Amino acid sequence: MIKLPTIHIGRLSLLLSILVWLSLLFVDLVRLFGVINNLNSGIAPEITWVLEILFFLTVYFFYNYNLQKNAQNEFLNLLWRAASTGIFASAAFLVIQLFYEFLGDSKLGQEPFLRNFFYHVHFALIAIFLISTTLLWKKLILYQKTKQVVQQWQTYEIGLLIAMFFVFFSQNTFGYSFIFGFVILTVLGGFLSVNLKWIPYLTFKEKWKSLLFLAIIIICSVYLFLQTNAYSSAQQTYPINLLDNLFLISLYVFILIYALFSFLVTLFNLPTSSVFEQKLTEAINFQRLSQSIQPEEDEEKVLDILMDSSMSASFADGAWLEMYQTDRNQTIIQTRWIEEKEKEELSQLIESNSAAQNWAKESKADLLNPLPLKISHPKFGSLLLVPLVINKSVIGRMVLCKELKDGFNKEMVSIIETFARQASISVENHRLLNQAIQNERYQEELKIAQRVQKALLPINLEHNQGFEICAYSNAADEVGGDYYDTFQLDQHRYALIIGDVSGKGTSAAFHMAQMKGVFQSLIQLNLSPKEFMIRSNAALSRCLERNHFITASIFIIDTLHHQVCHARAGHVPTLFYRSGNQKAEYLGIGGLGLGILRNMQYEKHVEEKEFTYHSGDILILFTDGIVEAKNQKSQQFGFERIRALVEVNHHLSPKEIQTKLIDSLHDFVGGDGLIDDDYSLLVVKFN
Amino acid sequence: MLSIETQQENQHYILQPKGEIDASNSVQLDESIRRLAENGAKSILVDGSAIEYISSAGLGVFMSYLEDFQEQGITLKIFSLSPRVLEVFQILGLDQLIPIFPEKEAALNAN
Repeated sequence: MIKLPTIHIGRLSLLLSILVWLSLLFVDLVRLFGVINNLNSGIAPEITWVLEILFFLTVYFFYNYNLQKNAQNEFLNLLWRAASTGIFASAAFLVIQLFYEFLGDSKLGQEPFLRNFFYHVHFALIAIFLISTTLLWKKLILYQKTKQVVQQWQTYEIGLLIAMFFVFFSQNTFGYSFIFGFVILTVLGGFLSVNLKWIPYLTFKEKWKSLLFLAIIIICSVYLFLQTNAYSSAQQTYPINLLDNLFLISLYVFILIYALFSFLVTLFNLPTSSVFEQKLTEAINFQRLSQSIQPEEDEEKVLDILMDSSMSASFADGAWLEMYQTDRNQTIIQTRWIEEKEKEELSQLIESNSAAQNWAKESKADLLNPLPLKISHPKFGSLLLVPLVINKSVIGRMVLCKELKDGFNKEMVSIIETFARQASISVENHRLLNQAIQNERYQEELKIAQRVQKALLPINLEHNQGFEICAYSNAADEVGGDYYDTFQLDQHRYALIIGDVSGKGTSAAFHMAQMKGVFQSLIQLNLSPKEFMIRSNAALSRCLERNHFITASIFIIDTLHHQVCHARAGHVPTLFYRSGNQKAEYLGIGGLGLGILRNMQYEKHVEEKEFTYHSGDILILFTDGIVEAKNQKSQQFGFERIRALVEVNHHLSPKEIQTKLIDSLHDFVGGDGLIDDDYSLLVVKFN
Repeated sequence: MLSIETQQENQHYILQPKGEIDASNSVQLDESIRRLAENGAKSILVDGSAIEYISSAGLGVFMSYLEDFQEQGITLKIFSLSPRVLEVFQILGLDQLIPIFPEKEAALNAN
């Protein structure tokens, strides 16, 4: 494969246009030589025309490429390019004229070859100026283009292309056909010239500059046009007419029309440009306000933008902004161009104004609109109170001050209201985001608490061959207040404990940890169940909050003598299934909850009982979360259901009984029903 | 939902909580009882006929006044509890500490 060198269109077209121009010059000079020496050089005028068209096309391609490559297409830059080309062409022309003025009637001044050379230079400069300016106009016309405008432009370009070849047809004479083509192209150019959408986007200063550039372009093109006419009237010196070309003349007219239109429209746009600029600034400010603040940033940034935008929108002479803290003590966040003393005076004037009083009392904060006030103050004549409303409550207000009376018109008030609303939304979003981050942190902490608390419950339940045991616990919230534990007292004796802290959630979880500490310490002392409860009560009474209590049951199982000794402290009764008569019943034993009576009186309110167990007997220890679990009809699961379930399933292993109980509890509560309390379950089956 | 009505009969103040007493509204009950005690009530009776459910947090409210009332010489009695609610009091053992009566008359007549 032969690799083609990359073609540089810009350079190629530049080179080609120079070559074409040189050959055009050569051809015409040869012809001139023939004319002067009365020789037939045999060069038909068509050759000149073909070269002329080729020159136009190469110049067109060069500038088209050049403009596309230069992405920097600011309007002023475009205008300057056109103006500078015009200045260059005109200056070159002036120099040539001065040169001939200087030569006067000397021999060199009459030299036809030199005159023809300059004629060709002039032609090239005019063609470059006209074609490049037309392409720049194209950029301006097609700014914010519509499909229709693009089609119009394409039509015009085709018209221009035809106009290039017109020379073959008309032989450079002014006929009706020439006028016809000229009129059509002028009308098309006129239509295109109403596309001036770029002008409003210029700032005031840029408008002045563009007026200057446009004036230069107009002067240059008029000057060049007049000079072209001067050549045409001196036809005898030049054997071939290059300039009376429909293409070039149409371009002249088009460039002039568009430059004139632009000049006039820019001129008349000058007085209103400040309004347009103002609106543009407002739009930009609005956009800045609506960009949400980053969590690590401060609300003050948004309030800053709000103050600046509102002041520039209303031409305010001073302003301040107050944010109410939760305790309603005003905290002034910012003041602008206003003395502390003036602010105090104005605040008092607002306080005493009845309209402002009513405004401050408005209960529905989302109906609150900015309130313009007339005041009598030596410096300021009018005020505007702007509320900042978040989530239906007023979080602050902005006060704008003007020296003029009635300084705030409807448009200002409405744009400032929009600013204030947007700023409030940004502030609200910022606060919500921070809250969400905070919540996330709390969730994280709770997860840790949950993990720690899970570790407080035993993983392995201590037991021997005498009985089997299993346990289950579930918390309503992340952490709960239920507790159970086992402890081996000696070779044959085991202690079983179940407890429940009043309430649920975090406070319950802390009390549950205290309960575990107390129980673990006291169990080492090898106390009787009753003594154990009395001491637990004494210990827990010191650490429980006044309205909190704990309920618990303790069982001491002696596997050697098949005895169980137990005490209950306000805990839900334990179910005992006897394999002898195949009946389950709740163990009736009195006992007051721990932490209710915080003195020695407690001793009177706790009992101890002992019973003998047989193989196949079952103990079911649980917490009130199971009994009080409710279904959709608000019925409680109750003691009776547990009893019946155990009687039916007594032959199963503890694990299976536990599963049966938990499953039927969930069935009872219903598919997506939640059990709103902590609940735990311990199943013991004796061998 | 919980609503509490208070009325006075001679020297007795009668509180009637209606609905379920749980962790979310036990504060309401607590405030009602405290306000009566602060206003100098010496005999407070709680009409339990309209209590549908009481959680451990609700029981905690009654419990927390036991010692204070004993010191201040205020009597607190409960009457007309539904069997289910009474059972909750009994399991915890509170019935040993707070006098509970089947109906209002008995509560008024008891010392």
